[in-house]
Amino acid sequence: MALLEVRHLKKTFGDRAVLDGISFDLEEGGIKAIMGPSGCGKSTLLRCINRLIEPTSGSILFRGQEVTGRDTDVRALRQMIGFVFQNYALYRHLCVLDNVTVGPRKLKRMSRREAEGKALHELQRLNVADLRHSFPSQLSGGQKQRVAIARALAMDPAVLFFDEPTSALDPVMAREVAAVINQLHSENVTVLCVTHDFELARSVADRIIFLRDGRIRAEDTADNLRNHYDDHEIRTFFGPGAAPV
Amino acid sequence: MTFVDIIAALSKGAAYTVGVTVACIATGFTVGLAVAVIRRLGWRFAAPLTNVYLAVFRGVPMLVLLFMVFFGLPSLGIQVPPLAAMMLSLGLISGAYLSEVFRGALNAVEPDEILAAQAMGLTRWQTLRCIELPQMLRASVPGMINEFTTVLKYSPFAYTVGIPEIMKQATALVSTTMRGVEIYLAVGLMYFSIYWMLVLGVWTIERCFRVPGLTHR
Amino acid sequence: MMGDLAVLQDVLVYWPEIARGLASTLMLSVIITLTGLIAGIAVFYLTLSSSDVCRRAVQGYISIFIGTPLIVFLFLLYYGLPQWGIKLTPLTVAVLGFTLNVAAYNARYMTTAYNGLDPSEIEAAKAQGFTSRQIFHLMTLPQVLRLSIPALTNQAIQNLKDTSLVFLIQYAEFFAQMQEVALRTFRFFDVYLLTGLVYFILVSVLTNLARRAEMFADLPPASRHNR
Repeated sequence: MALLEVRHLKKTFGDRAVLDGISFDLEEGGIKAIMGPSGCGKSTLLRCINRLIEPTSGSILFRGQEVTGRDTDVRALRQMIGFVFQNYALYRHLCVLDNVTVGPRKLKRMSRREAEGKALHELQRLNVADLRHSFPSQLSGGQKQRVAIARALAMDPAVLFFDEPTSALDPVMAREVAAVINQLHSENVTVLCVTHDFELARSVADRIIFLRDGRIRAEDTADNLRNHYDDHEIRTFFGPGAAPV
Repeated sequence: MTFVDIIAALSKGAAYTVGVTVACIATGFTVGLAVAVIRRLGWRFAAPLTNVYLAVFRGVPMLVLLFMVFFGLPSLGIQVPPLAAMMLSLGLISGAYLSEVFRGALNAVEPDEILAAQAMGLTRWQTLRCIELPQMLRASVPGMINEFTTVLKYSPFAYTVGIPEIMKQATALVSTTMRGVEIYLAVGLMYFSIYWMLVLGVWTIERCFRVPGLTHR
Repeated sequence: MMGDLAVLQDVLVYWPEIARGLASTLMLSVIITLTGLIAGIAVFYLTLSSSDVCRRAVQGYISIFIGTPLIVFLFLLYYGLPQWGIKLTPLTVAVLGFTLNVAAYNARYMTTAYNGLDPSEIEAAKAQGFTSRQIFHLMTLPQVLRLSIPALTNQAIQNLKDTSLVFLIQYAEFFAQMQEVALRTFRFFDVYLLTGLVYFILVSVLTNLARRAEMFADLPPASRHNR
């Protein structure tokens, strides 16, 4: 059974369909990237799955459980989905350690000691444990990204969502993020990653979902998308000589 | 009577001045925070109430409110002690202005951080308590200092309801010694000293909670 | 409470005094708002002085008036100075005291606005050869005044409310007259409620005008603040 099964998901804002019947699966331990031009609905899709945005219709099964219903425990769902935001969204008034412990302490009712142990473990895993007493404003973009990932992992989520993890980073740091995601993948973390960055998608994901105008146009490996499609839009987006976005 | 004697005579009132100021600041802080939180949570039934509160307490002079409470309510059979009358007038006025300070600082909290907190699974209340309020209070310090200063500067009106604070001591002393210039200069000096202690005190507290990069200083 | 309108009948007996009081209040508010603005501009000008001594003296003046209650200064002028044989009328004391106090606040608002200006503009003007006085009245002042409109109008509203304290130096303004009415009718609560209502209406009207002035000046949202 897949961890996540999305079926015919629709989201309309007014009379504009931002998501127009999305269906895909994400296996336990799998990793998929969602790509597409700006405004194709990628970020909306992530936010519909954890109900930061309410989907208009369709079905989402999380471990076989329908989670779009009115009686779904939205907060329990969100605790199972680690979300890493494009601009990291670290809490500016908390040091790195507190950023990571706030979830376990407030949501899992861990003691401060226990939460700090957990947090240190995750920070070490991401190689930023020595920054634990720094504040977000004192970190570089790449460091913030790692802290944001550690913060998500500290909740022991069933899946990690990345929303454009490299868009604010320079190419060197972007490669580092790719390495981090690959490391997580090798540790059996399930990942769904929305990105603009073909290099990132190719280096981390087994399969890429290509989204355009709220519909899935293709789902395939990076190489196949690049070389074996005649569709004009896919060729311009992925094809040889396509402008890196 | 030397200037030092005058200061010594007036200082009997200093504790009352500080007491009245602190009581009114505490009232204003509590009410202002509650109003800001209620407005932030967007409770629909509370909106008209808070709007009326803000309009009334920013629209009526402090002395008029004080007299209404202290000299007016007894004619309806409600006796209000002097300090309570100060808290219900000056305290609630500062609450109205403080809630505006707090509102501005709450609006300055990054929406992304609130989204991140919600994505993590925190409740609305947890988000407010753990993310928004700690940032808001730090950002409100300059506004709070302005407001606390205003409270201190209106505290002399406590003498009109019989609280024996500095101003009351001064008027009594002037009527017996007829040395108004020295006495009121001394009064000014005392208020100015209290003002500086207040400002320094707030900044000292702020320094204990300062977070690099959060506020611009 | 005001359940019966009898209070109005009782109060209206004294309408000539009340009207005179209201006129005094409005007159004093208008005077101190204008003198406070003009003096405030002068003080702000002095804060930009090239002389260190002058700037420090002005900062001292501003901080003293921001850090001490106005009523102390009014009492010093009204109840203190007669000791030296100087007797001023309540109106003189009120205008003098309020002007110095309001000017300090207005100067501070203008300094805040000034600090938000783009310094390169001033540099450009200097490079073009304008004198510092020309720069002040052609560039700095108009921009600073425009950006300070919310703060200055709030101060004007504050002035109207604060004039209610001058009864303490025996100036017969609106609140003083209403206290007299309260004593004569023995309807303390009703009369003070009515007093509050009148101030409330005046403040509401002024607030409305102030918001229009802000819209007219088309200010950036960040410059809007309270008090």
